[in-house]
Amino acid sequence: MYKYDAIDKTLIDERVAQFRNQVERRLNGTLAEEEFCPLRLQNGLYHQRHAYMLRVAIPYGLLSTKQLRTLALIAEKYDRNYGHFTTRQNIQYNWVNLEETPDILAELAKVEMHAIQTSGNCIRNITSDAFAGVAADEYVDPRPVCELLRQWSTLHPEFAHLPRKFKFAINGAKEDRTVLLCHDVGIELHKNGTGQLFANLYAGGGMGRTPILGSLIKQDLPWQLLPSYLTALLRVYNRFGRRDNIYKARIKILVKALGPEEFARQVEGEWTHIANGDDNFTQAEWDRVAKHFTKPAYKTLHSLTTEQLIASTPQADQVAFARWHERNVRAHQVPGYASVILSLKHHGIAPGDASTAQMHAIANLADQFSFGELRVTHEQNLVLADVEQTQLFALWEEAKKQKIALPNIGLLTDIIACPGGDFCSLANAKSLPIAKAIQERFDDLDYLHDLGDISLNISGCINSCGHHHVGNIGVLGVDKDGEEWYQITLGGEQGNDAAIGKVIGPSFYADEIPNVMSSIIDTYVGQRSEDESFIETYRRLGMTPFKDAAYKNARAKATQQDTAEALLS
Amino acid sequence: MTTSISSQFNSNIIHFPKDGEPFLAVNEWQVWNGEQDEGGIPDLEHGAHKVLVPFHWWITHHKNADIIERANRGEIGVWFAADEDILKHAGLIEAGKKVWPLVAAHFPIFRDGRSFSTAALLRDRLDWQSEIRAIGDVLIDQLLQSARVGFDSFELRPDQNLELGLNQFDLFTVTTQNSWRGKRSLLNTEYV
Repeated sequence: MYKYDAIDKTLIDERVAQFRNQVERRLNGTLAEEEFCPLRLQNGLYHQRHAYMLRVAIPYGLLSTKQLRTLALIAEKYDRNYGHFTTRQNIQYNWVNLEETPDILAELAKVEMHAIQTSGNCIRNITSDAFAGVAADEYVDPRPVCELLRQWSTLHPEFAHLPRKFKFAINGAKEDRTVLLCHDVGIELHKNGTGQLFANLYAGGGMGRTPILGSLIKQDLPWQLLPSYLTALLRVYNRFGRRDNIYKARIKILVKALGPEEFARQVEGEWTHIANGDDNFTQAEWDRVAKHFTKPAYKTLHSLTTEQLIASTPQADQVAFARWHERNVRAHQVPGYASVILSLKHHGIAPGDASTAQMHAIANLADQFSFGELRVTHEQNLVLADVEQTQLFALWEEAKKQKIALPNIGLLTDIIACPGGDFCSLANAKSLPIAKAIQERFDDLDYLHDLGDISLNISGCINSCGHHHVGNIGVLGVDKDGEEWYQITLGGEQGNDAAIGKVIGPSFYADEIPNVMSSIIDTYVGQRSEDESFIETYRRLGMTPFKDAAYKNARAKATQQDTAEALLS
Repeated sequence: MTTSISSQFNSNIIHFPKDGEPFLAVNEWQVWNGEQDEGGIPDLEHGAHKVLVPFHWWITHHKNADIIERANRGEIGVWFAADEDILKHAGLIEAGKKVWPLVAAHFPIFRDGRSFSTAALLRDRLDWQSEIRAIGDVLIDQLLQSARVGFDSFELRPDQNLELGLNQFDLFTVTTQNSWRGKRSLLNTEYV
């Protein structure tokens, strides 16, 4: 993985010193909170319900075991012995003290990590495919471009105070595992017949209050020209994006207002003037960065079929191992290797949370089984990318002890959830108790496996950090007269067939949600054709049978509310 | 009658020439907000005799004889509002190069970054070589960004600490993208 050079190292050390001074001025009262706020946000520091929260970047999801051990140490020394991995390849600490944050950032800097631009109205941490460099369906390893753009966007002066946050996702594989179209800019990499690298750019995607999928605005841009093109794009947004209303300030609103063609035309007009400038990347820069993303020292091995692999394990374990292998193991580019998803969705634990002890244990597993590296997924799980197939059983045995081997990847209880109202001051409602209640209701692994692929995403408010819009089933916390209610959406999807879910109707009370889920799932089970997934059944039948079942079986309270709303409307 | 021409005036400014060191200087330029417009620039306060007028006011008044006369004495510059689309007025700005000793770009609030792009475009696209001043809600923690995009003088909000302000420009010895002040850092013997 990428190793900092002296420039990167100097930059983050100087950034820590700058922030230390800003914190001192805040603490001695010479810097007002309102003016400190954007400064701390661009260093990852939020002020939440109970304490400060620090969001640390894991650029494009790549992490060394040394870094993970530092993350564990920070959880132990400065927080409450756990961290929360997010949908955008960050880790959050929920209980830090303002006074200590410069020290935390200094600890991170020692292992080439930072919290720069993980919040605020600027270019955020760049996300990518958790299986970059190893996925069997990959066209292009996106990591060199990710790293080059990480550097380009870090402390970019012109784009330090954009109208609103700005998120990049970069994909180089056939399947999209980055939710590319829900980003302000999605960059899709591909190579032509002679091996030259190009980018297609999608702009104006986003979730939040107005979920929109991005539109293709530029095709076949040579990779070297990304800085000038992105400068043009961001300059148009910086100048003309709305600043009068926080809910209309994302680039998606500008792209929608102008229309994608007109937006693209304006970007092109700006770009014409700078396309040939020296902002662009050079081959030397590519070489400097790309040399770090070489393949690890793979052994020459033979691929094993799943049947061979399972047959090689003890008889008594075969059923359980096969199930884990089916859900948590992914195909690899190199014969004899596989990628393993460690589930951070153990039932009853907040989705994406890992304890200090787990982080240390996972670091040990990555050292033992996967060349000392790991990745963070958009779904808030961890990946050991380079495991020998013959070691999978041993890894599984160890992972079980750490409660990170639940074979639920892609299943109903592999829930994406934001921290919600338990922590976040933006949230209208809690998300974690809802996730927990659903996991408790659907605690039968046999049943979960029978249900197959279903994505369930929960956001505590319309900011959509839990990406509920793209869940097959989405749950959104809403506030009504000071009470927490939950709105259900159906039909969302991430990946190549990305879609925004549709609201089924009036929202439900928290304690109705497990019943509502059961009704929706029962409808699927009752109506599915053989081998048909939830989303396929939904697309075939439409919303009505799911909606009818959900409201029929929900308690009277929802009906009362429905009536009240009907009277009001 | 002396009319107030700006709710805010800092008697000192920070100058940071492109290839020099930052220093404090006496502020000779009053920012006029364009209000109390009775056909001409109001009288000046604070002993300053030079005035930055709103660019949109310049558009409609620059052919007035008294304005031409003052401008020819080097006493008028313009300031661009954050929402001013300067590229639509490239011709007027080109002509302004002969008469304005400096231009300014306004920050209605420190976290509004539109004027960063205005300064970048003035430098890169319109080839503005003279001073560009940051005015409005200019705080010390945004000086470095402003200096990199093209500003070389700063009228800080009067409550800001000028000494601390002067120290903001060398907090970083490396950069990872080009800017008006220089190219991105490249590895050389100093860092190997």
